[in-house]
Amino acid sequence: MPVPFIMPKFDMDQEKATIISWLKHEGDYINFGETVLTVETEKVAIDVPSPATGTLSKILYKEGDVVPVTEVIAYVLMDGESSADVEAINSTLQSQPEEDHLNSQEKSTHLTPTTGLIKATPVAKRMANEEGLDISKISPLGGKIKRADVERFLTNKEPIKRVAIPATPAARRVAHENGIDLETIKGSGPRGRIQQTDVQEIIRSISSQKTGINDIESDMLPLTSIQRTIAERMQLSFHEAPHIALTVNVDVKDAEEARNYFNNLAEKQGKPRVTLTALLVKIVGWALVRNPLINSSYYKDSIRLWKVVNIGVATATPQGLVVPVIKGADHMNISEINSTLIDLTNRARENKLNLEDVRGGTFTISNLGMFGIDQFRAIINPPEAAILAVGRIVRRPIVVDNQDHVEVRPMLTLTLSADHRVIDGIVAARFLNDIVSGIEKPSFLLY
Amino acid sequence: MPEISYLEAIRQALWDEMKRDERVFLLGEDIGRYGGAFGLTYGMLDEFGPERVRETPISEATIIATAIGASLLGMRPVAEIMFMDFMLLAMDQIANQAAKMRFMSGGHTTIPIVIRMPGGSGTGAAAQHSQSLESILMHFPGLKVVNPSTPYDAKGLMLASIRDPNPVCFIEHKLLYKLKGEVPEEDYVIPIGVADIKRAGRDITVVANNIMVNKALNVAEKLSKEGIEVEVIDPRTLLPLDTTTIINSVSRTGRLLVVHEACQTGGWAGEVIATVASSIAFDYMDAPPRRICGKDIPIPYNRGLEKASIPQEFDIEQEIRMLVGGKI
Repeated sequence: MPVPFIMPKFDMDQEKATIISWLKHEGDYINFGETVLTVETEKVAIDVPSPATGTLSKILYKEGDVVPVTEVIAYVLMDGESSADVEAINSTLQSQPEEDHLNSQEKSTHLTPTTGLIKATPVAKRMANEEGLDISKISPLGGKIKRADVERFLTNKEPIKRVAIPATPAARRVAHENGIDLETIKGSGPRGRIQQTDVQEIIRSISSQKTGINDIESDMLPLTSIQRTIAERMQLSFHEAPHIALTVNVDVKDAEEARNYFNNLAEKQGKPRVTLTALLVKIVGWALVRNPLINSSYYKDSIRLWKVVNIGVATATPQGLVVPVIKGADHMNISEINSTLIDLTNRARENKLNLEDVRGGTFTISNLGMFGIDQFRAIINPPEAAILAVGRIVRRPIVVDNQDHVEVRPMLTLTLSADHRVIDGIVAARFLNDIVSGIEKPSFLLY
Repeated sequence: MPEISYLEAIRQALWDEMKRDERVFLLGEDIGRYGGAFGLTYGMLDEFGPERVRETPISEATIIATAIGASLLGMRPVAEIMFMDFMLLAMDQIANQAAKMRFMSGGHTTIPIVIRMPGGSGTGAAAQHSQSLESILMHFPGLKVVNPSTPYDAKGLMLASIRDPNPVCFIEHKLLYKLKGEVPEEDYVIPIGVADIKRAGRDITVVANNIMVNKALNVAEKLSKEGIEVEVIDPRTLLPLDTTTIINSVSRTGRLLVVHEACQTGGWAGEVIATVASSIAFDYMDAPPRRICGKDIPIPYNRGLEKASIPQEFDIEQEIRMLVGGKI
């Protein structure tokens, strides 16, 4: 079949080129890649190579003509072909759909969407307009372009790939949604029909192949329901709440002294020792009342400021992480908090917490100091707006006054993770500063 | 809640509604002294008298024509066609008169009649007394076609049918008459046109009517022990058909089986399947939609052949196994 010789496009934005000279002429035998003509674009003159080896024929544009790019300018005939073969391709080209429409315009009188006078129903015009279609491109089945013609045009625009592969509609949908080619799937159904499970199987194997991790031997630990819940909630929080984290170092000398004082008293009275966590619950409770935005939750179109202060304390148990809640912590004194905390912690370790013990938290404290961690960032426990991560107390030299005196002090690092949808840096800083002042001057809190 | 039979539930609905609304009256062949061919109206003549429990000659056309005439004058007749097969004698009255008068009068009149008609096989009554002709009735816009499968639905739908301003064909099944179930004594209405999911399941949707609902439920119970969860939908009303419930169900289960006793060719299973296949549920279907229906033959007199001519539990079970197992 004769090879059409088209005006090449040299530049991204090039629309046309001018033929400067034909170096070969009709009837010349040309080789693939051989320069046949020179053209000029807006920028430069360029030699145009032949697209094929054969006889140059049917030159359609002469020197000096301006030709749009991709337009056929000549044909290259293969051995044994004549210019009659060129006519043959042209007539085939013309029977293609777009041309067809133009032809039918000329040939028949009742299909008459002639330029400038397009017969279309108002609905069809509106639809074409809304879809940004050139209505003259739409060929009607009847005399006028109707709604159905526009719809047909729209559906034909992106022809549906008809596959000869047998598959159920559900399998096709799942494959399409996951960008999987049905040809790569072996169907388990009757006569090899691909069913939904076949596609799902492929999806599973693809996702495990990607990491290669499936090749490594492993033990499988099924998730307990508590693990699943933690996983889902942490995922949700990490995904939905934009976390910011602020860290402070606090001198706990006075706080530790106050705690020792309490514990001496407690020992004499046979009461349990006050833990650092209990002290922090007391101080945090007080600070939350002063900073209500921290004690809140983000909802879709509002922030709920909670009217109670319920502080959860993350607790490690043999079953996993649980967060028992100290309800109304702002109204409790330190020994009430301490004994509540001891009770909750003991029951948590014995797996004896009931639902009420772990519900209704408005803020969480997570303390890993006893495990030797200096500082860490915690993930907010949703729907709460912030969580305080407590590190260990380290004795460190620090400057204690304006005269650069250095003393060794017990220092504690606190990191607040906050939901930035509710809490901005300044609000978080104020809250942390309140905690710092509470820790540094604990006496006024510890009545 | 008291347990009564399907037959008693329908009688209770008729009885209560006749007490409540003096426009309601019964007419039909042998419904008075004899109490009807199945005894459904037994005792009603004594209670309501011959004015309201009217014996008619053996002319179905007359029965329906009389009911239509009475309804035009403000009455609410409940006509009985002794066997559904005989409705064909009254078809002009049902399809050309009752179904169309409201439309052709521009809404100036309504035809609030109920036509009770027991259908179905299983009693050895042969080809002229055993048919399930509900699909024919579904082809006449203007009619409503109601088809309960439980005593509870039967009472609630009968009350709804009598109170409906349109002609309602109330199809009963002979083999269901003795089926017992809990039925409240008080007045309640089950809306016409609302399907009921008789059993929820995730693997396949089975749509069945009247006695086939009960067969499908038995199969579902059996397969459930093997982990195959069958959803059984009883449309309860065939016209108008609650397509939304069916389409939603198939979108969840991905598989559809329709079961009816009526002959397959031209039967309403085709309507359900076409509706689902052309709906949003199509993209969720993981198996071809299928039907199990009565064979395309006159119901045989021979009891063995009679049984073989309509879907049995074994057939339903096999079909579900094939569909759920991806073998069809």
